[in-house]
Amino acid sequence: MRWRTPGWIAAGLSAIALAGCNGGTTPQSGGNAPGGGTRRIIGFSQVTTAEPWRSVFNQQLEAERRNHPEVELIVQDANDKTETQVQQMEGFITREVHAILISPKESAGLTDVVARAYDEGIPVFVLDRNVEGEKFTCFIGADNVEIGRQAGKHAVQLLGGPGKAKGNYVEVWGGFGTKPSADRSSGFHEIVDKEPGLKKVGQKVDCDWKLEKAQNFMESVLKLYPEIDLVYAHNDPMAMGARQAAEAVGRADKIRFLGIDGLPNEGVKWVKEGKLAATFLYPTPGAEGLRQALKKLNGEAVPKEITLKTDTITQGNADKYSQ
Amino acid sequence: MPVQKTETPGLVELRRQLLAALTLFGGLAVLVLIGALVSPRTVDGDNVFLNQRNLFDILARVSNVGILAVGMTLVILTGGIDLSVGSVLSLGTVVAAMLLLERGWHPGAVLAVPSLAFASGAVAGLGAWLFAGKARPAARAGWAAGSFLAAALLAGGWGAAAAPNGMPVPGVVASVMAVGLLVGCLNGVLVAYGGLQPFIATLATMISIWGLAWLIPGESNARRNISTAVGTAHEPFNWLGSRIANVFPVPTLFFFGAVLVAHLVLRYTGAGRRVYAIGGNEDAARLSGVPVAGMKVLVYGTSGLLAALAGALWAAQYHQGYPDAGLGYELWAIAAVVIGGTSLVGGRGGLPGTFMGVLMFGVLENILSLVEAKTNWQRLVTGAIIVMAVLLQEGRLKAALHRSLRAVSKPLLRMLQGEKHK
Repeated sequence: MRWRTPGWIAAGLSAIALAGCNGGTTPQSGGNAPGGGTRRIIGFSQVTTAEPWRSVFNQQLEAERRNHPEVELIVQDANDKTETQVQQMEGFITREVHAILISPKESAGLTDVVARAYDEGIPVFVLDRNVEGEKFTCFIGADNVEIGRQAGKHAVQLLGGPGKAKGNYVEVWGGFGTKPSADRSSGFHEIVDKEPGLKKVGQKVDCDWKLEKAQNFMESVLKLYPEIDLVYAHNDPMAMGARQAAEAVGRADKIRFLGIDGLPNEGVKWVKEGKLAATFLYPTPGAEGLRQALKKLNGEAVPKEITLKTDTITQGNADKYSQ
Repeated sequence: MPVQKTETPGLVELRRQLLAALTLFGGLAVLVLIGALVSPRTVDGDNVFLNQRNLFDILARVSNVGILAVGMTLVILTGGIDLSVGSVLSLGTVVAAMLLLERGWHPGAVLAVPSLAFASGAVAGLGAWLFAGKARPAARAGWAAGSFLAAALLAGGWGAAAAPNGMPVPGVVASVMAVGLLVGCLNGVLVAYGGLQPFIATLATMISIWGLAWLIPGESNARRNISTAVGTAHEPFNWLGSRIANVFPVPTLFFFGAVLVAHLVLRYTGAGRRVYAIGGNEDAARLSGVPVAGMKVLVYGTSGLLAALAGALWAAQYHQGYPDAGLGYELWAIAAVVIGGTSLVGGRGGLPGTFMGVLMFGVLENILSLVEAKTNWQRLVTGAIIVMAVLLQEGRLKAALHRSLRAVSKPLLRMLQGEKHK
């Protein structure tokens, strides 16, 4: 049997090809944009989008872009691969975009290509994870140690206040050997370890940021420790997983659950439903990155590093973050 | 060819399997003993490991991978492998959650309803084909095609009417399983008719289906939470992840059921014998009239169907649909099958072994978490136990010990003798 390509498939393919060509045009510097201002072409290399936080990151960046009609944003997804991201950066350099935003997979493999773009005179804004050295325009990210501290303070408040806090808590680890987990842990312990009345129960187990692993981990912890007052998880889904394990044995109401990230569809929603006591916002740096890039292109000075503020999200202010 | 006097192959195989299962049972018993000994005690002095709740927790925990392992056993017996089961499980969780939570023609329904039509048609068509076994070929084909069409139209029509308003839970589970069957059949077709190596064909579907599992819910809203609240429409679905009388886990019921049915089919039906025949010697099977290609599609289809069922159960246990749910599960399923004594070359092994292999994994994981072993120690020990368990089968541990002793002693002896000669 032989296959004939139906017309609509051919049409679709040529449409894709055309779209590709359109994206491939070299920017004409100084051209006029529909919004009136000077046309700005900005490339953005995102490490991956298959992750809820990254997805919100892209959405919030896109929302900010709509405020700037002169900006043409080229968003590329590196599928979690350093090599792909290097290629995308090289592509941006060749196309002579006006500025580059990059949220790198890791520092070692991307430092060189970021420096190359910077040396070519393209302002580079590094988002969320940093590269090594000084050859970039500005780094924008959140401070996980500070987020950990806030979570620690909140935990101490919930368990009786500074100096008087009493109880057993469980820490649910994200990924071993990842900086966010290490930072979220050290910030938390900075505060909590000062309290003689607080005792950590349960081992350090790699729950890999996953809800089901946290649920399985908590299932064992609940069997071993009859008294648990609080669970601190390095992200919201794991806090939720721990809660579900406690629900299954009827102990959820006696335990306070704290998470981190505060995504509208996850942590914020769960806080509103009363499932989590609080979550701590891990803000996305995309929108701020675009604003800083435009400032730079307009000739204003930008700082070398910007730390985004976190916030404690409880039932009182959750509406503000549900978008 | 000389005629050899042997016992019937079925009997030999059965005895071999029973022996392997017994050995494994011994291994499992040893593990349980260790568990009881090293287990921490509660404040009241109760043994946490032997606690009834904990033992049923183990069963609940292994049920998802266990169901995957049942399908995997069938596939491996034909000499194949199915790497796509983890992704199909993930897709299953996503489709189940979306069918429960969303209304209208969302992508989940768009995928599920045609799959349901196809699966119902396929089951009815196959049934008619088998039922009309003695009819003339033309009539037989006519019956099969007619049944396929009728069932597909009926199920598709029902699905199209029900999906936009929210399907009842049995419909959700059936639709999810239908999606899995479709993916599995695609694997089977790629392997049997496309001539692809099973490893490559199922690796490709593993990757594609993983992507699909992210695309269907949409990347920004990929995690769909199924409320645990009592009294909502989700309650009957949550039953699938709960415990009967607060004791026996429902997913385990499905796991045991799948093991039992698959075992009976393998042992007592012509289809089962054909599976072994294909794995034993595919060319010989083909020459003796076994419909090799059709059987492969059936076996891969079953594996996909079971993987999707495990996905529905996973969604009920963890109260969510999530595209990364089954990441890496295929390797655990393969490991359980291999520990259970089923040969990766095909044709040898069976479900009793797989069942034991799955339980061993569950008990081991439980012990390690109860003694609060650190993550990387858990990994280290798990790998070592896999090696031990495989060596333990069929006395291979003894043989390996002998071999290594000989390997050490021979040069030693020679050295000593050499000394003497001087």
